[in-house]
Amino acid sequence: MSFSQVMRHDFPEEVPRPGRLAALRERIRHIEQPASHGVLPFGVAAIDRVLPDGGLALGAVHEILGIDGDEEDGAAACGFIAGLLARLRMGPVLWCVKRPDLYGPGLLAHGLDPARLVIVTAPRDEDILWAIEEGLRAPGLVAVIGEIGRLPLVAGRRLQLAAERSGITAFLLRRWRNSEEAARERERPSAAVTRWRIAALPAREVDDLRLRQLIGQPRWRVELLRCRGGVPAQWVVESGDVEVADATGHVRLSPELADRPAAPVDRKEGRLAAEPLQRRTG
Amino acid sequence: MTASGGRRLIAALNPAAAKAGLAPGMPLPDALSFVPGLVTAPADPAADRAALTRLAEWCGRYSPWTAPDETDGIKIEITGSAHLWGGEAALVADISRRLLRQQIAHRIAVASTLGTAWALARHAADAGAPALPTPQDERAALAPLPVEALRLDPDTVQGLRRVGLRHIGELYPMPRDALARRFGANGLENSVAYRLDQAFGDLPEPLSPLGETPSRRVRLSFAEPIADPADLARAIERLVEDLAARLAREGMGARRLALGFHRVDGRVEHIRLGTARPTRDPRHLAKLFTAKLATVDPGLGVEDMILAVFAAEKLEPEQTEFSPHPPAAGVTILPSPLAGEGRGGGIASLLDRLGNRFGLDAISHIEPRQSHIPERASIYVPVNGKKDAASTPSPPPGALRKNRLCRGPQKAAPPPPCGGGGDPGLDPGEPEGAGAAARSALRRIPSDSSCVSSGSRAPSTMLRMVPLPRSAGEEPSRRVKDGSPDKPPRPVRLFRPPEPIEAQWVLPDDPPFRFTWRRRQHRVRHADGPERIAEEWWIEDSAADPRASGDRVRDYYRVEDEEGRRFWLYRAGLPGDPPPRWFVHGLFA
Repeated sequence: MSFSQVMRHDFPEEVPRPGRLAALRERIRHIEQPASHGVLPFGVAAIDRVLPDGGLALGAVHEILGIDGDEEDGAAACGFIAGLLARLRMGPVLWCVKRPDLYGPGLLAHGLDPARLVIVTAPRDEDILWAIEEGLRAPGLVAVIGEIGRLPLVAGRRLQLAAERSGITAFLLRRWRNSEEAARERERPSAAVTRWRIAALPAREVDDLRLRQLIGQPRWRVELLRCRGGVPAQWVVESGDVEVADATGHVRLSPELADRPAAPVDRKEGRLAAEPLQRRTG
Repeated sequence: MTASGGRRLIAALNPAAAKAGLAPGMPLPDALSFVPGLVTAPADPAADRAALTRLAEWCGRYSPWTAPDETDGIKIEITGSAHLWGGEAALVADISRRLLRQQIAHRIAVASTLGTAWALARHAADAGAPALPTPQDERAALAPLPVEALRLDPDTVQGLRRVGLRHIGELYPMPRDALARRFGANGLENSVAYRLDQAFGDLPEPLSPLGETPSRRVRLSFAEPIADPADLARAIERLVEDLAARLAREGMGARRLALGFHRVDGRVEHIRLGTARPTRDPRHLAKLFTAKLATVDPGLGVEDMILAVFAAEKLEPEQTEFSPHPPAAGVTILPSPLAGEGRGGGIASLLDRLGNRFGLDAISHIEPRQSHIPERASIYVPVNGKKDAASTPSPPPGALRKNRLCRGPQKAAPPPPCGGGGDPGLDPGEPEGAGAAARSALRRIPSDSSCVSSGSRAPSTMLRMVPLPRSAGEEPSRRVKDGSPDKPPRPVRLFRPPEPIEAQWVLPDDPPFRFTWRRRQHRVRHADGPERIAEEWWIEDSAADPRASGDRVRDYYRVEDEEGRRFWLYRAGLPGDPPPRWFVHGLFA
């Protein structure tokens, strides 16, 4: 199909110019990207609805960020990734770290069997990048996680190409040594398909006076900061045993989803009905 | 020039000086009176030795068995490798030519014993005229040489000279036992009879080679020295193919290899590698070597490359994932993604590439261990094949039994037997690797072998000092969520060592209401705890972490700050004096 045909058939004159441009870009994206490796649905309608094709793109690079003090450690991001990996198909996962502070029992609690992990410890960002890229070229892996600070745009692009070629999904857990590095790197563009930010939220207040002092179920604010072919959005996600009222706008990532193949999307639709807290237009 | 007892003596000299009448051992003033304008330099035995070792290594191109001999010689075992060079004479000519190019004066002798070769090289051979007697002529060749050629100490030589025995040939007719009686006082090494027997091959004298001897070697020589990385890479491919073919014939795979680059100037550069699993995939090996090619300085050129295997293991031929050729259509081979303990077929080559760059120790698996101490309950085990029990203290018999029972990574730990008595329904069978680990741990337990007898259910000697928050009978979802049903939640990040914090609290038993960690203040909004974790008293204080050692008791709290971040804090020591110290040990997601 030639370019002029695209113009004539798919874009009537009344479409305003910016919209036409965006649609054109989308079209080009589809042409440029013939190999799609499918998606991983969250199993939560509110989130999947926002993501193009109804889930997290496989064979692509996704960035996960922490927030504030957690930018150094990425603890919430780590739990988020563990939950995602648990829902990917079984198989070995390469996790590239600068210091080995992953804790098996904690990962298991998020549904990720630590026995699946191959952990490579490397001192510098360049080494981590190299290891990620090697991992993305290795058949047999399901996913590669890189805890990385500095990510040059070109390097990110290389990773994205490698992921597209092999179908292995990469999660870049951005972890910065200090606030200066975080401030420098945070706003840099990257070649990743999506960028997420995971923040721990205070647990909801419990009415029961006896439980008030105790820690409730953990809650995250999950922000989709950038998404190729989608719009930014954010949700409050609560994992745990407590039923969440629909009206508060919470979604619940049920622990039963852990470590089993992705379930059909429309499970228990009623309870999961939730709108994103707010939507910004991209 | 060497200093001895305050005098300066000549240690070594060049031919011109020798012609002028100087000799080693001559004091410098005497020498200066012979040759007034004598140029001298201090002797450096260490540098000489290093240079000799380097030269011996270079001689590795002729045979794997080479070694420096005393301070001025190199011995090479050429049995079995001379034919590769077209015979002994051709081999000697090659050595000679190459040494001359490096401007190294030399004398070469070839003989069937080390003793004869030593004598001939030092006393019969000349520059450009190597001594190459046939085996039958060796006796005759030795006869006119002075007795020093037998590697005797000066005292023995003096003794022989005193009785008029100057040449080796004069010793031949002497009765052996008389010689041994008369000249054997200075130890076996200096016994004339012993040395004679060695020279004639009546006594064996093995050559202990320089360094480790490889089990397999392939060599590639170039008519013209090469230095271009692309050429070197091609050469690597050829070498690796040769080696792979040989390994395939033998049904072996290489674990440890070294590739030597013999440079024109006599230096040898090496690339050494280890693999996570035995391999003989030529493409894979070539990749590993070429990845490190940048570390090799070819200098003016490389004339030989020698690929040596130092460790090899059996590699079954059906492991086709290493094969360069994909299986034929219709033949399905199911690769086990994480065969064994996770060093699976499909990712083995990845592990090698990573290990090649970072070292195999940098690649690890998380393995659960049966321990209450959090940092011991989940440890990093390097993939390099050795199951080290050294880093993990061996648990007591009771705990060991448990270890064998609940090692499956996904399996939740069964509820611990409180006060002895096992639960007969719990044996899930033991995975192979776990068995090996458990057995290796078993050997370290000196007494109480009741748990060793297979199948016997030894009474548990482990005391449970931690209150059990929950018991068995949980629904599966809970198990998945908490990982282990009898444990409160565990963090996703664990700091090793724990990081100290400044904490403020009200009552001695309370969690802190405020703490400062990494120069940031956190106000505690909620807290769970305490969960008391006591030192495993049966383990000697192995001091995995010096700061935490001595904490016999830790009270863990799960706290949430205003932002909602969750920390795993603990108070070291019992409340009271000395004032307790607080640490943050981990972070929850």
